[in-house]
Amino acid sequence: MTDSPPATTQLPAQSPPVDPAETEAAGAHATPSHAAATGRLSWWHGDSGEGARRNLALVGVLVALFAIGAATRSDLYSNPDWVWANMLSILKLASVVGVVTVGMTFVIIGGGIDLSVGAIVALAGVWCTTVATQSFGAGGMIFTAIVVGVAVGLVNGTLIAYGRLVPFIATLAMLVAARGLAAEISDKQTQISQNSTINGIASTNLLGIPVLVYILAAVVIAGWVLLNRTTFGRRTVAVGGNPEAARLAGIDVKRHTLLLYALSGLCCGIAAIMLTAQATSAQAGMANLYELDAIAAVIIGGTLLSGGRGTIIGSLLGVIIFATITNLFAINGLSIEAQNMVKGGIIVAAVLIQQVQFGSLSLFFRRNRLTTS
Amino acid sequence: MSEQPDSGAPLVEAPADTVAGEVVLRLTDVVKTFPGVRALDGVQLEVRAGEVHCLLGQNGAGKSTLIKVLAGVHRPDSGLVEWRGQPVSFANPQAAMRAGIATIYQELDLVADLSVAENAFLGHEPRRLGFVRRGQMARHTRQILGRLGHAEIPPGRMVRALPAAGKQVVSMARALSHEARLIIMDEPSAVLAHDEVENLFRIIRELTAQGIAVIYISHRLEEIREIGDRVTVLKDGRTTAANLPARDTPTRELVSRMTGRTIEYVFPDRPEGSALGEELLQVEGLTRAGEFADVSLTVRAGEIVGIAGLVGSGRSELMETIYGARRAESGTVRMAGRALRPGSVGAAVRAGLGMAPEERKSQALLLGEPIYRNVTLATFSRYARFGFIDAGREQAEADRIAESLEMRPRDVRRAVRTLSGGNQQKVVVGRWLLGGTKLLLLDEPTRGVDVGARAELYQVIRQLAAEGVGVLLVSSEVPEVLGLADRVLVMREGRVVRTAQAGELDENTVLDLVMAGSLMEGAPA
Amino acid sequence: MTQHSRRRLLFGGAAVGAGVLLSACTSNESSTPTEAQTKAADGGGNAEPGKQVTIGFSAPAESHGWIAAITNNAKAQAGAYSDVELKSVEAGADAAAQRAALSTLISQKPDVIVLLPFDGKELNSFGLEAMAAGIPVVNLDRAFPDAKAYRLQIKGDNYGMGVSAANFIAEQLKAKGVSNPVIAEIAGMDALELTQERTKGFNDTLAQHGLKVANRRAAEFTVDTGQREAAQLLQALPKIDAIWNHDDDQGVGVLAAISQANRNEFFMVGGAGSKKAMEDIQADNTVLKATVTYSPSMASSAISLARLIGQGRGMGDLVELQVPKEIVLASETITKENASDYMKLGF
Repeated sequence: MTDSPPATTQLPAQSPPVDPAETEAAGAHATPSHAAATGRLSWWHGDSGEGARRNLALVGVLVALFAIGAATRSDLYSNPDWVWANMLSILKLASVVGVVTVGMTFVIIGGGIDLSVGAIVALAGVWCTTVATQSFGAGGMIFTAIVVGVAVGLVNGTLIAYGRLVPFIATLAMLVAARGLAAEISDKQTQISQNSTINGIASTNLLGIPVLVYILAAVVIAGWVLLNRTTFGRRTVAVGGNPEAARLAGIDVKRHTLLLYALSGLCCGIAAIMLTAQATSAQAGMANLYELDAIAAVIIGGTLLSGGRGTIIGSLLGVIIFATITNLFAINGLSIEAQNMVKGGIIVAAVLIQQVQFGSLSLFFRRNRLTTS
Repeated sequence: MSEQPDSGAPLVEAPADTVAGEVVLRLTDVVKTFPGVRALDGVQLEVRAGEVHCLLGQNGAGKSTLIKVLAGVHRPDSGLVEWRGQPVSFANPQAAMRAGIATIYQELDLVADLSVAENAFLGHEPRRLGFVRRGQMARHTRQILGRLGHAEIPPGRMVRALPAAGKQVVSMARALSHEARLIIMDEPSAVLAHDEVENLFRIIRELTAQGIAVIYISHRLEEIREIGDRVTVLKDGRTTAANLPARDTPTRELVSRMTGRTIEYVFPDRPEGSALGEELLQVEGLTRAGEFADVSLTVRAGEIVGIAGLVGSGRSELMETIYGARRAESGTVRMAGRALRPGSVGAAVRAGLGMAPEERKSQALLLGEPIYRNVTLATFSRYARFGFIDAGREQAEADRIAESLEMRPRDVRRAVRTLSGGNQQKVVVGRWLLGGTKLLLLDEPTRGVDVGARAELYQVIRQLAAEGVGVLLVSSEVPEVLGLADRVLVMREGRVVRTAQAGELDENTVLDLVMAGSLMEGAPA
Repeated sequence: MTQHSRRRLLFGGAAVGAGVLLSACTSNESSTPTEAQTKAADGGGNAEPGKQVTIGFSAPAESHGWIAAITNNAKAQAGAYSDVELKSVEAGADAAAQRAALSTLISQKPDVIVLLPFDGKELNSFGLEAMAAGIPVVNLDRAFPDAKAYRLQIKGDNYGMGVSAANFIAEQLKAKGVSNPVIAEIAGMDALELTQERTKGFNDTLAQHGLKVANRRAAEFTVDTGQREAAQLLQALPKIDAIWNHDDDQGVGVLAAISQANRNEFFMVGGAGSKKAMEDIQADNTVLKATVTYSPSMASSAISLARLIGQGRGMGDLVELQVPKEIVLASETITKENASDYMKLGF
């Protein structure tokens, strides 16, 4: 192979169309030796560091919220015990939606959306607290909630992957149907959980940390490993990023889509147990609008709504930010209406910041590095 | 446009005698870039009143962008657009329409649930005091339809209820309702049956007789011969020939301007006397209605088989069907003697097939993902135990491929988005090298790849064959097929019209086959 | 089906996820109204069968214990009369859907319509129409603004609930001698007028006692939101003396949050009067010491009175020959002492 064109090659009258990506590659990223020289910093500025940069920004938001809390309620924040208890309370508040959000993150990275998560949580919660199910004890209740969650997820996935329904439509229909079924099963009544093991999930601490927080941590870690270290995660990114390319590379896109919704259903089943434990009861109307909470957290966590890219950690930070805002408004005795307006504002701001980051800002950084290097 | 390779003929010829009338539209050095692509790269165009000016060019040559510039959808980055002697820059489609330029897009932009008259006058309904004057609108529509020779279409009929040809007439009625002086038609015959095309031509002739200029875009040369006055050819966003007489220019010249043999490539030598291996791929009687019919072919281990044919000849569809991405209506695909399950990419991949599809970015790559993950897209599960990927081994394997293909940049953690076209193609080919693929399907492997990288890709492909991989190659560029393949199949309109050793064919023969077919009627298929 | 096999089936059904078929045979103990709530009024000979009356009935289909009790009570009460036929239509998901359902009801030509509207203002016009067409309308709980839109209005006293809760809290705190007490409030859905009325009654009455609410959170009448808002409220107020929770249904979650936080330095007053709340009050093993009623038994009364209206009879104990135009149920305070009396009205 030759680097310079041999004598027989006639150059075209004009040079071929220039791919800007190529010039960028030649300029900003230059040669491997350049990349090696900048070392770890180049990773930070590069594509793989993007998620980390964004997550750090979210941590910054959390710190700011903490500072606002400390400034407005210095009486409470001056007590370290209270601060620690409050942080745990925020994590507990985030735990149920957090588990749902892990499933939602997978679905969205995989190019879909699941509007039925709240309804699945309600259905699984109601089903696992019927008198009949409760008679089988904690194991039976957990088993039931998880089976119901996965089964509903499989129905969603089948409709979408093999029935070729748009995810939005299929899961919207499931939202309505699952809540209807939950109301039918519960006869619109509140079903009290008599099981002390289940109820204990929400009231027990291990080493000073609530069990709910351990569950959240376990689901998040499992989700992170699944997304970043396994073939399942790799397929998720491929299917969401470019379904046609995934299909032509031999990946069974339909089966994987099915599994993604089943995974979301599984997370909903786990969340149903957690929520039932917290409320020591279940009813068809519970977990109302969790789908919006989860989607909002996924978005501000930096996952592309169009699929193909996203992080579990970002989603987790999104959930925690929302929980912190709720907490902040509660401890200041401010109205829920104002709280919801601020949450809406945060979603818009997060997306705007992302756009700026992707567009002009990242370009600005690259240009800057070009001139300085 | 200082020098032209190949024939050395002047780019802009004197207007043909048949064309009279003033120049209504003139484009000089028009450039339009989008992020990632230079869609127009110096376009020249001259259209006269009352002529049918044909635009020729392959997919991606810039025709659509050019139309959109004229229709006011895009504004050129540089260059001059003169409309009836005045430099213009249309801010939006309405402005172009007001100036008298109407565009009839391939996907007709009609509102299906409005009437014929409402569609014809959409956006400029005759009105008084804010109320649409329906009677007047219907009357005008009837008049226009009469002018188009279609007085039988009722102005009140819903457009949804009309056949494709009728809808096209409504689009033209809309153009005339604006008193257009230039009508751009983007592949108008694509949606029409044969006899309807005649009717379309009649209408076009009537329009031009009234002094209206028509820009006509079509892949079908015979149509251009029949209706066109002059031809301008685009390639890679650039005018490669302008104002050729539509009837007399040899097909060969038109095609070579389109496929742009602007450079000579260096092809690796075919190995002398190397014995080919077993028959790997056996395709028999493969058919998909409207795409290709009764295609049979074989590829041996170590053999490169090329398919020559224009866009629309069914070649890409054939590749995808062999690969299982489309399901054949009849016929079989066998790999090493075993029939492949139809419509299953997974089965094809397991049997040892791999494909580099035509549209690299939309069909093959995860642009935001790192190189190594793209290289291992089809094989990552091999580096996994219990579903957990051994990232170190995966990267090392990808690195080995990157090394052997001389990918640049060599850092496999870099996003594929940042690579040049040629290196992106290496990623796709490398994906299948890693998989131990026995038969590689390459669809337009060098599209958008620059000169140096092309030579490297040719080397890679030849090297693969030398290692016993069978290759089935599709390319619009005849020299590429002839230079690279051992054996060549020529496809036209969904059928294989000729199979021969590459050495037995020359470019002219293939071009004649590809375009006309009539010259070689009765040739062995 | 025996109880045992039913359990088996349901559990098995859950296991295979075949829900729709089996959901038909799932039920909960609490769904059947107590006998007391369906008791036919026996005074003045009103219970004696009279002219056959067809009563049309519509209530929202919300998954809330109180609303469910309303519908169940109405059906059971109608069943207790031999001369009443109840035609019930589901109200769908919002006021517009309820309006559509009601128009089908009208076509069945009922003698009287009993209606719990989604929103009294939005369905006012329906009341006017029906009344103009000669069909008396009995409005349940959510008042029509226009007096011509109903023949009878029977409702609970939302403002009075707040008053009763505030009075009870003030008395208790006074008895304990707490100075500068910290009082918290967990409301229901803030967008509803009834929530605003309850809060106003609470605030007005507290102010008369020289007290005020330190922090207030609004839940959504569901157990999980009750738990969520209570947990945050407890976090905001490290020491509390009294809490009023508007709704006993969400109160299940509120009590869960309180026990999860290991808090018991305060007492709590509930709202509505659910059976569970009364049991807790009677058992006296939680912070819940009282609840102020807003009883769904009003649906039973509405059916009884609709029957009398349809038959042109008055209420037995009243002198008037016709049923009065408005009845507002008093909000009573249930404590450990009187819980057993009210237990039969719990839902």
